[in-house]
Amino acid sequence: MTLSFVLESLADVLPTIVIIAGVMVLVEIGLYFLLHRALNYKYALPFMLVAPAAIGLLLLVVTPIIFNIAIAFSDLSPMAGRWFTIEGSISWGIQPFINNIVWVFTRPILQQRTFLPVFIRTVVWTMIQVTFHVGVGFFLASLMNRPMKMRGIYRTLILFPWAIPQVIAVLAWRGEFNFEFGYFNIILRNLSLAPIQWKSDPFWNFVAINMTNIWLGVPFMSVILLGGLQSIDTSYYEAAEMDGASKWDQLRNITLPLISPVMTPAVILGVIWTFNQFNVPFFINEQELETSDILVTALYRAAFEYNRYAFAATFALVIFGILLAFTLFYMRVTGFQLQAGEEKKRLASAQAVGE
Amino acid sequence: MKKLLAIGLVLLAAATIFVGCGEGNAEPEEVTITMWTQEGESDGTFQFILDRLDEFMAANPNITVELVQKDTEALREDFQTAALAGTTPQLLWTVSDHAGPFTAANLIQPVDDFYNADDFVESVVLNGDTWGVPINSGNHLMLLYNKDIVSEAPATFEELIEFGQEFTDGENYALVYNATEPFWLAPFLGGYGGSVFAADGVTPTLDTPEMVNTLQFIADLKFEYGITPAEADYGTMDTLFKEGKAAFIINGDWSLSDYAGVLGDSLGVANMPSVPGGDIPRPFTSGKYFMVPAGVEGAEADAVQAIIDFFLTDEVQLQAVAELNRLPSSLSALQDSSITSDPILSGSAAQLATGTPMPTVVEMRANWDAMKPEMNAVLAGSKTPEQAAADMQVAAENAIEALQ
Amino acid sequence: MSDQAIPTIKAPTEFDLIKKYGFARWFFQRARGDSPAKRILIHIILIITVIIAVYPVLRIVTVSLRPGNRLLSTSLAIIPDDASFINYYNVLFNRDFFRWLWNSLLITSSTSIIGVMVASTSAYAFSRWNFPGRNPSLIFLLATQMIPGSMLMIPIYVIAARTGLINTWRGLVIAYSVSAVPFSIWILKGYYDSIPMELEQSAMVDGATRMQAFFRIILPLSTPALAIAFLFNFTQAWNDFLLARIMLQQTELYTWPLGLQSMQRQFMTQWGEFSAAALMVSVPVMIMFLTSSRWLISGLTVGSVKG
Repeated sequence: MTLSFVLESLADVLPTIVIIAGVMVLVEIGLYFLLHRALNYKYALPFMLVAPAAIGLLLLVVTPIIFNIAIAFSDLSPMAGRWFTIEGSISWGIQPFINNIVWVFTRPILQQRTFLPVFIRTVVWTMIQVTFHVGVGFFLASLMNRPMKMRGIYRTLILFPWAIPQVIAVLAWRGEFNFEFGYFNIILRNLSLAPIQWKSDPFWNFVAINMTNIWLGVPFMSVILLGGLQSIDTSYYEAAEMDGASKWDQLRNITLPLISPVMTPAVILGVIWTFNQFNVPFFINEQELETSDILVTALYRAAFEYNRYAFAATFALVIFGILLAFTLFYMRVTGFQLQAGEEKKRLASAQAVGE
Repeated sequence: MKKLLAIGLVLLAAATIFVGCGEGNAEPEEVTITMWTQEGESDGTFQFILDRLDEFMAANPNITVELVQKDTEALREDFQTAALAGTTPQLLWTVSDHAGPFTAANLIQPVDDFYNADDFVESVVLNGDTWGVPINSGNHLMLLYNKDIVSEAPATFEELIEFGQEFTDGENYALVYNATEPFWLAPFLGGYGGSVFAADGVTPTLDTPEMVNTLQFIADLKFEYGITPAEADYGTMDTLFKEGKAAFIINGDWSLSDYAGVLGDSLGVANMPSVPGGDIPRPFTSGKYFMVPAGVEGAEADAVQAIIDFFLTDEVQLQAVAELNRLPSSLSALQDSSITSDPILSGSAAQLATGTPMPTVVEMRANWDAMKPEMNAVLAGSKTPEQAAADMQVAAENAIEALQ
Repeated sequence: MSDQAIPTIKAPTEFDLIKKYGFARWFFQRARGDSPAKRILIHIILIITVIIAVYPVLRIVTVSLRPGNRLLSTSLAIIPDDASFINYYNVLFNRDFFRWLWNSLLITSSTSIIGVMVASTSAYAFSRWNFPGRNPSLIFLLATQMIPGSMLMIPIYVIAARTGLINTWRGLVIAYSVSAVPFSIWILKGYYDSIPMELEQSAMVDGATRMQAFFRIILPLSTPALAIAFLFNFTQAWNDFLLARIMLQQTELYTWPLGLQSMQRQFMTQWGEFSAAALMVSVPVMIMFLTSSRWLISGLTVGSVKG
């Protein structure tokens, strides 16, 4: 760590920021003249505001997705000798894509398990996780949602699992599932119970993965739900109590409806993040049991351990499709919408302000 | 004002770097070689390579070698990715089984012209070409023991089991090995006369009576005789042996310096004892190899040649023996008295002689992945050896089909 | 939020109150409605939760204090008998720890600044205008969260290689800069939605332009959401390993996850030093999380409650 090194790194990064800013300014000026001056378009300003994010996402998210889709329409697989270095070895088009799709749904993804069992396991895993995250999170949030001593300390310390880098936390947990030296088995032995084979028994390995992820996921959910609970005016409860409503009625008729604007997006994000959770199932499953793989870990193994890039690209699109379908469906069902009722009114009045 | 100052600073810094680059380009013969290695630092190998490279660069001032360290799997994945973008390093220092995937996609070039194969141990040969320059030989499993607990190693597993049934008490174990990796299964399979591939070298032969015997044997060690821990991965067996809670351990030559440091003279090295109803175990042998990426030519190839020559000299090879307890790849260095007179190294060499070369074809990957979960299932008591062997074969065939 | 007690200068500290009332009465005095037994029960549950939350981290502390290279031990003691700081010393002085930290800090803060700037302005457009393409874009932003991360890696690498960004810090800055933008836009949009339009209106009546109103009124009011967006951008880049691994091939460029990885080998890991380093790199993020925990709640939820 020398001064010259610091200067060198700054010289690499700072001009980059300046250049990015410069390009953005040029784009903005261009858009200004095009949309506002030349076309006098009424949405000139919002387009100018969105432009930087749109350009960034186009370059770094959309392009890779297109690349990914292109690969899905090929039979690229370096271990089988179909690779760019060997001319004429790769075929492109609809037929390879159909082959990939057929393989995804009908034949073993890795060695023994086919798509359906892995998918079912992923769904079960997501349901277990989101249930626990929301359930435990709600329980803790309602315990903390009252005036009490040391609340700040509790709230801060409960955030711990979220604050520590995930991979490090997962590696720490993995050590605790060791047969000889993990604390679960040490405790079981001290209680004169039979220790558990956390790593080689398929059932217990799945339990271990679930325990770890519950530990990781509850803090986020309880913080969000605590925020939701705090936003509910206590006078509702006071009124309900005067009417003689039971605690259960209060929960059902006041708390849940009023917390749902917070809960719905949190649940959607929770489902997406859990469905795509990679670190926990991948690292806790140290012995690579196929019975503990969920879709994304199977995807990773197919892509990088077997280098079946074309198959993996197709598989990724399938996973993406499933999540997208779920999200749209869930939004419909829960009435979590982008533009209805209030949102429409708000946007209308916003427009009035703008013009 | 502040902004001006900041911009000025940046320009100044940028200018110094451009000037710096200009100076570097002034020397005409300058070659920079990036070498990836999967050697780690805990056994000192990474540091050893760095030190040797410093000596090398001092002697060859026109060559700069940048050493990058990657975990074994990461090295393979990243090399394939880099090849996709045309940004590969110029030299690899890696394990033999990377040759399979790399040759399948034409990512490396034959090395027949880089060294004289007659003076060195057997190397990686696929499709008639040699793909790796052997740096050292071994990477094989052997039996290590703690002389504070047992005075000498048994010749047969029956003796070991007899000792183990007295010794093992739930906290101390007679034998520990990495029960999660099929690499540790392979020697026993060899002991029972089995092989993972048919004679053609690519067709898996896992559903065989030999494999059933092998699986039955490791299951017996745990359930019947109870001389091994219920669940032991690398970290567990390593810790048990270091803490003196295990009399025997099956581990590779890479661990020798580490254990020699912990146990000192109490470390014993021997051949694995013969298995009941079978023969002596046959560990997989390989070693570390230089592989040269495709497209390395001209001045770069000359520089790579110089590096290879340097590491193949008997002097450097014997230095590696002394510092790392790894056996050399040079046939003349293997005869050196520093090896034949050292109990640990000669023990390692004796076991090496019983070994069988590890297959390097891409199909081996499918075999490994097929054996691993089934071996674990047998040890978890959830499958019979017969069932596991049959499932292994199916899994391997599925995976090989997926690779086509 | 309602839970933030606002101490005035004259208010007695909690310690004064303990002295005045004694511990037991102090402990229970402010709670309303609940019986003492119930309050004790709640505290017990929360204390157990805190222990569960913190204990695995403490086990990392234990490993880091163990001299020699021992990950595993049958002892459950937090402080091992032979505790020493040798691992910390080795990480700090015998490795390039400060360099890794500097690299990570530089890349991460540049990324976060770019990310927050980009997200805060676009989110404003999403909040205030019903421009063509708005709703599909919002869905698209949500959809980006569903892409399995490992699939974008290879394409990003190839693009970076073609544009000469391999082995540079700026390559990572650019690659990371948008990774947390979709989530940030959602959070910020929700928060802006909760800020009444009248605030801008009155500023514009006073002669400010739309953008002036945004920068002078909306942005300062959105501190909690901006803090969350910054935090997410920061942690995303701070913890990334997969992309950094293929983008940076020179040891002097390493970020901390790569530095830590260099201590890990398949069969041989320097667990003691690894844990010590892991704890030290977790500190900056932890401090950020814990100090911003009050914003965390309002920043994440206000938008959705009032939107």
